[in-house]
Amino acid sequence: MSAVANYLPRNTWIHRLNPLTKMLWSIILMTLSFLYRDPIILAVLFLSIALVAYMAGILKEMLPAFKGLLIFAGIFLLFQIFFITEGKVLFYVIPGTKILPITDEGIFGSLAMGARLMVIAASFPVLLGTTQVKDLVIMLVEKIKIPYTYAFMFITSLRFVPTFMQEMEQIVQAQCSRGHRLENRNLIRKFFSLCPLAIPLMITSVKKAEQLAISMETRGFGLGSRTYLHQIQFRAIDWGISLGMLGMVALSVYLNLQGIFQ
Amino acid sequence: MIKVNDLTFQYPNGTPVLRQINFHIRPGEFVALIGQNGTGKTTLLKHFNALLKPSSGSVQVAGIDTRKSTTGELAKKVGYLFQNPDHQIFMPTVEKEISFGPGNLHLSKEEVKARTLEAASQVALSEYLKENPLFLSKGQRQRVAFASLLSMKPEIMVLDEPTTGQDYQEGIQIMEMVKKLHYEGHTIIFVTHDMELVARYAQRVIVLNRGQVLLDAATREVFYHPEELMKTNLFPPQIAQLAQKLKTNRPDLDNVLSVEDLYQELIRLEEDKANVCCG
Repeated sequence: MSAVANYLPRNTWIHRLNPLTKMLWSIILMTLSFLYRDPIILAVLFLSIALVAYMAGILKEMLPAFKGLLIFAGIFLLFQIFFITEGKVLFYVIPGTKILPITDEGIFGSLAMGARLMVIAASFPVLLGTTQVKDLVIMLVEKIKIPYTYAFMFITSLRFVPTFMQEMEQIVQAQCSRGHRLENRNLIRKFFSLCPLAIPLMITSVKKAEQLAISMETRGFGLGSRTYLHQIQFRAIDWGISLGMLGMVALSVYLNLQGIFQ
Repeated sequence: MIKVNDLTFQYPNGTPVLRQINFHIRPGEFVALIGQNGTGKTTLLKHFNALLKPSSGSVQVAGIDTRKSTTGELAKKVGYLFQNPDHQIFMPTVEKEISFGPGNLHLSKEEVKARTLEAASQVALSEYLKENPLFLSKGQRQRVAFASLLSMKPEIMVLDEPTTGQDYQEGIQIMEMVKKLHYEGHTIIFVTHDMELVARYAQRVIVLNRGQVLLDAATREVFYHPEELMKTNLFPPQIAQLAQKLKTNRPDLDNVLSVEDLYQELIRLEEDKANVCCG
């Protein structure tokens, strides 16, 4: 799980791109995926993400995330296929009856839904794998003018995930030492067996947040505009790629409206 | 009670923590485990209730091989007090918190109730049974955690820095409680950085240095090996240091660990001298 959102340092031009360029890429992919409803075009979009990951040298690390997405999209597809009843009926799930019809529209539509889901979700691990979160936040604050407090909240919540996982391990050990059993088949019991773990985690988290707030205020948090150690430039290549991508979007929207690409 | 044979432990990423550890702890012993931070004290303790299992070698607790058991099963035999009580407190009242452990042991309601009241009175928290443990002081929360182990009546008590966050008075109170448990027949193993507490309470000291046992002997012995202790930046309590100095002139001075003992020893030596003169 932790590998999915981790920065993977490599020395490629994709890593050196401005975080905003990569964010634009992510947003554009999302836009395009809503523009198209042809599963083949959507699959090509997904492959383009894999190609970017390959060029950034992180495809191997991305594969588990992609695999997980594929399973998720598969489940999504299975549900979806029964809810689209328009179009020509191809067959019924239970032969000889009229229960659960599968239509050509259904297959087509649910494939598109699954592929769209994958396109939307797959760009994020690639974005986070090639971009340091702190750079992303600095750019969001400096260029997009997001208030630093909100940007800080975002960066801190990411930063604390491993801390809380460690904390969780301690809590599990403490409760097991008191004879607490986690494995339970009964769903309601399972829920209650999580209470001894969830409550201490919640309480220690709140305490930690309080301490963090105090320690930050003592160091002058919120005094006004900040200066940053690292300056990130929006270079010519960033302009080039960003404008190129925007041009492609404009073209696709135009073609889409003309009815050439659906 | 606890048999550690050739215990070696490394984390899955290959970092070795414990190397070739051997010792036996007999029933009813009162053992202090000392050493610098990061030498593996807590890692070693976690082997005593199967929270960790040996990479090689074996750990036997009350005749049970920890590799063939689980922490839950061993909870009946081993009580483990963690450094931070906030990792375990989750019930809305002290009473419920203390009764959580025995509740896991499939005891009757009356038995759980009786044990809870007993444990609460042992840690002097009887008046706080209906309070929410979160609003108690750090020292009191530590005692709640301690009581929640006592109520399970384990034969072996493993205490990871039981006196941290306590003032001197509270620390002594906790150790006096532990001492009482020891009189009642419990086996005690505790980790601390307070050498005064070690001198005052422990019968035996195991010194850990970089994942290996540096010294393992009676408390009186260990504190009279200052050169060895120095290797891991430990210093004997001041009274032992003073006695060590006095020993250069009076080699027959006994290894003492308290002011009272040293005083008695000095009187004894004076008397012996007087006897020799007159005789």
